[in-house]
Amino acid sequence: MSDNLVTITVDDQKITAPVGSYLLPACLENDIYIPNLCFLEGMDDPPASCRLCLVDIEGEAVPVASCRYRIFAGMVVTTDSEEILKLRQLAFRLLVSTNDGSCRTCIANHGCELQKIAKFLHQPLKTKRLRHIDREYPELVDNHPFLVYEPKKCVLCGRCVHVCGQLEKGYKLDFANRGMDTIVSFFSSDSDPASHDCETCLACTEVCPVGALSSKVKWTSFVAELEMKSAQKHKGGQG
Amino acid sequence: MLDQLLAALNETERAAVDEEEYQILQAVVDELPAFSHEVSQLIPILQEIQGKHGYLPRLALDMVADHVQTTIGKVYGIATFYNQFRFNPPGRNPIKVCLGTACHVKGGEILLENFERRLQIKVGETSDDREYSLERVACIGCCALAPAVVVGEKVEAYVTPSKVEGIITEIEVRNEMAAREQAKNDATSE
Amino acid sequence: MTQLANSPKEHLLVHAERARERVKELKESPVPVIYVGCATCGRAAGALETIAGFEEVLKDNGIEARIEKVGCLGHCYAEPLVIIQNPGFPALLYQKIGAGEAGILVRSFLKDGSDPCYEYLIGALETDENFPTLMDYPRYLYENRVVMEHCGLIDPDEIDHYLAVGGYLSLAQGLEKGGEWVLEEVKSANLRGRGGAGFPAGRKWEIARKVEKTPKLVICNGDEGDPGAYMDRTLLESNPHQVLEGLALAALAVGAERALLYIRAEYPLAVEIMERAIVQARGKNLLGANILGSGFSLEVSVFKGSGAFVCGEETALIESLVGNRGMPQPRPPYPAVAGLDGLPTVINNVKTLSTVPTIIRHGHQWFRSIGTEESPGTAIFSVVGEVEYPGLVEVPMGVTLEHLVVDVCGGIKDGKELKAVQIGGPSGGCLPASLMETVIDFDSLKTVGAMMGSGGLVVMNEDTCMVEVARYFTDFTQGESCGNCTFCRIGTRHLRDILHSITIGEGKMEELTDLEEISEAVIKGSLCSLGKTAPNPVLTTLRFFRDEYIAHIEEKRCPAKMCRPLIAFYIDLEPCARGCDACVACCPTDAIFTTSNRKKAIDQEKCVKCGECVYACPPEYDAVRRVSPPEMIPDQGVEPLPDTEKEKEESK
Ligand SMILES: Cc1cc2nc3c(=O)[nH]c(=O)nc-3n(C[C@H](O)[C@H](O)[C@H](O)COP(=O)(O)O)c2cc1C
Ligand code: SF4
Ligand code: SF4
Ligand code: SF4
Ligand code: SF4
Ligand code: SF4
Ligand code: FES
Ligand code: FES
Ligand code: FES
Repeated sequence: MSDNLVTITVDDQKITAPVGSYLLPACLENDIYIPNLCFLEGMDDPPASCRLCLVDIEGEAVPVASCRYRIFAGMVVTTDSEEILKLRQLAFRLLVSTNDGSCRTCIANHGCELQKIAKFLHQPLKTKRLRHIDREYPELVDNHPFLVYEPKKCVLCGRCVHVCGQLEKGYKLDFANRGMDTIVSFFSSDSDPASHDCETCLACTEVCPVGALSSKVKWTSFVAELEMKSAQKHKGGQG
Repeated sequence: MLDQLLAALNETERAAVDEEEYQILQAVVDELPAFSHEVSQLIPILQEIQGKHGYLPRLALDMVADHVQTTIGKVYGIATFYNQFRFNPPGRNPIKVCLGTACHVKGGEILLENFERRLQIKVGETSDDREYSLERVACIGCCALAPAVVVGEKVEAYVTPSKVEGIITEIEVRNEMAAREQAKNDATSE
Repeated sequence: MTQLANSPKEHLLVHAERARERVKELKESPVPVIYVGCATCGRAAGALETIAGFEEVLKDNGIEARIEKVGCLGHCYAEPLVIIQNPGFPALLYQKIGAGEAGILVRSFLKDGSDPCYEYLIGALETDENFPTLMDYPRYLYENRVVMEHCGLIDPDEIDHYLAVGGYLSLAQGLEKGGEWVLEEVKSANLRGRGGAGFPAGRKWEIARKVEKTPKLVICNGDEGDPGAYMDRTLLESNPHQVLEGLALAALAVGAERALLYIRAEYPLAVEIMERAIVQARGKNLLGANILGSGFSLEVSVFKGSGAFVCGEETALIESLVGNRGMPQPRPPYPAVAGLDGLPTVINNVKTLSTVPTIIRHGHQWFRSIGTEESPGTAIFSVVGEVEYPGLVEVPMGVTLEHLVVDVCGGIKDGKELKAVQIGGPSGGCLPASLMETVIDFDSLKTVGAMMGSGGLVVMNEDTCMVEVARYFTDFTQGESCGNCTFCRIGTRHLRDILHSITIGEGKMEELTDLEEISEAVIKGSLCSLGKTAPNPVLTTLRFFRDEYIAHIEEKRCPAKMCRPLIAFYIDLEPCARGCDACVACCPTDAIFTTSNRKKAIDQEKCVKCGECVYACPPEYDAVRRVSPPEMIPDQGVEPLPDTEKEKEESK
């Protein structure tokens, strides 16, 4: 199937891609950037949840998520119409309206997908017009021996759940609750031998697009460094 | 299996499993074999456990995960997704206030507040003595009798804030009479 | 069709004959028969106590009578409903029969046989010269009971009751003529799905029939999550075999071997009744292997839904069946092509399936003669709120809202003004009185921003605040969002938060634009129809009742005097009766005190605005007033009665 290349049009540009594969990766490969948070190469059924990758496709009545739209020959895609831009911007504003924490003290600073998308969509990383929604989450979940989770930074993209599920003894973390209360939960503890796989794995931390999920080792030293810096600054300020 | 699970807990967790919960878990061990091991049985199994025991103890989730050979994460994810499941024991007198459309328009919320005030518990909670638990439900199908409240099994129709007091008093009186009866019996049997 | 003697129809006629015998025995019973409506609604209204009452008094008086539990007639305002078939009289329908009234009926009507107790009587089921008949009432006259024809009149636990009224005849006929024929009939009838979207059932079946993969599956969607609708439950509880027959016909048309009833766990009685019905039908070979000797087999089972509104959505429903979190999936592929386990899966609403046997029985032309060209057949609504006769109504498609509310349901209670109807539940819209001429069908409702949806219909008068109604539905949908997509998960939350702040007087004018902007994005950008329709209540209220929004924001005033933070109660000292204490006793927070001239006043600090005192105050005084905004309370120079005076009073 993957050899079956077809030509499609994306914003007046012709590209070739395997028929039946998902549209988003094809665009990305051809340097047509479409913002995305919840897609990962290799997902069979991407959750299409962040809604940042919406595009218009000729013949579809409403915008569709390109990460879960299969390519067909001759399709005509628009990724940059005014309407699409507005929708993506709002989706982004909605996402950051529930997010906490300032980039300056975040472990993902400079490597965060949200920052990249903010730039692309010309949106600030803090909500102005929309109210901030404080999700009723703990600041920090650190009951796992090797992982640290900061729920208020989580965008619920599901990448971590997906990659862990791909592993042989996977699904050590999974979604719990529903709607606005949805949260990623760990299901292993010190006494659980299964969680020791995580020590060398850390796959989930690598795919997290934001700073919500980190290796405990890295996180601990990051926090120590932060503290040191702020202490120094404090001292400097005094002196 | 139960002992294994208990052994895996840390001390505070183990201490939290009281006699009653232990009994329930023991029963679940016996009930599980009636179900096949397919994942599609997950929801029916959880429904069965809750139906029999009133709620889902945390360790029961582990046992279910083991039974259908999936991860605890998945079982927990499902149990917390659906409105039906609860994780703490209900009160002896579960009170469900209807907040369906018709009841809402007729002031169901005010009733709920009155129950909260009267019972000193919030919606979703069970009183410390396990006498009452308070829940909100969406339409119990007697919209024409709105606002409606279900007390135990009984539907109370056209409930007004002042009826709230009466409903609770009735339960209290009933309890007191039962207690007195009990005391009398105890006295005579001595 | 070589051996006619063994045709499904012949098989069925044997059953039907026997059933008719049994029912005849009941109808011609020498002793009185008392039918009590015992669906969930009836039970809620006390039907089981009514039965206990009958039993006791019958026994005490040594009267022999039969008591039959039947389903629901849909006349909720009159529950508990009882039909008495007393030899020598026509069958009579009585309303609001509690245990006490049951006793009276037994003593005056059954024992002495003279007084049919007109005070509780609605009317005779058949035309009779001595009694008013049901058809004398507009509610019965205007209704057109096609799907609900037998509801409340037959015992759902007795398959014979259904067989005796021609039940399963359509199935037998379908088996003789084949699935293709059934499919064509339903297609020609243009039966559109009653679960909300109105997709033609025949087209859906055809798609699934054509897919080559097997085994195929048919699912009856009885998840009914709309928090104000209960007609699916009523059908399941009152005429379960009709649902099963429709399900079997659908399976036949699709070529499915397996069928599922997905019923929410909150409907325990419906589950119980359906499970029994399946056993009975199987016992008569109307389900199971080689049905009526036709070679067609169908296994039916019940799956209990765990109470997530979103699981009514077909892809989420399928997810929950395989033991997953009920997260909707993008379509296509449609379930009819690739559903459960990737196999063709047809999902239809309870009402849709219940309609099928009637179409097969009377033919598609008959069906198309009811309703409109594009929406043939009837519509079932649960009408609640401020109408005289709330309940379940079945009317032909194409009637106006005005007709439904005023003619069929008796108009607005207490002579008040109609303000709006909210139609279609959480995904529907609020239509103002000026749009009451709107015709009820799938397409007309959409053009005014509402939806047939689940068929929930709430009638509201001037005392209902439209902003609050929008907040209520948005609160519901945001709480039921599966949480997958950004727009629905977070967007509906913002909508709710903004609406909430408006109802507590903290809204800002520019937020009205936000409401519109977010609503539009949620509609366009959400993955499933929950998100795509969630803003409808917001958009319709904004469109038709914008002035109410503005009053809340700019004047901090709730025109309907419903939003509690924006209202206050006070007692008008003039009409308040000296020495009357009615309001004091009812107040849950002891907010009412005695004034220096021994009238009553409300301590605004303590008052929680429950409105109870308004009802407690005797109508001849009618002294409690409700105002909005709270500052409207006039200064009456209220002084509390000094403590010394109080003591004096008490010691008296
Ligand atoms: C959030 C949501 C909830 C739904 N709930 C129900 C329901 O409770 N019952 C139902 O029959 N259809 C429900 N539907 C519609 C179903 O997805 C599906 O369209 C319907 O069952 C198809 O049956 P029909 O063609 O006979 O109408 C719901 C849809 C959505 C988006
Ligand atoms: S570290 Fe690896 S095994 Fe552990 S939770 Fe993350 S992905 Fe799963
Ligand atoms: S922790 Fe990271 S990867 Fe996992 S859902 Fe949250 S944002 Fe996505
Ligand atoms: S629209 Fe809402 S309910 Fe539907 S998939 Fe998205 S988040 Fe879930
Ligand atoms: S509105 Fe309610 S709380 Fe306020 S005075 Fe009247 S009865 Fe008391
Ligand atoms: S019930 Fe009415 S008349 Fe009586 S004291 Fe209260 S306000 Fe006055
Ligand atoms: S990347 Fe497509 S929806 Fe998130
Ligand atoms: S809304 Fe409360 S019973 Fe229907
Ligand atoms: S009378 Fe049965 S539903 Fe109302």
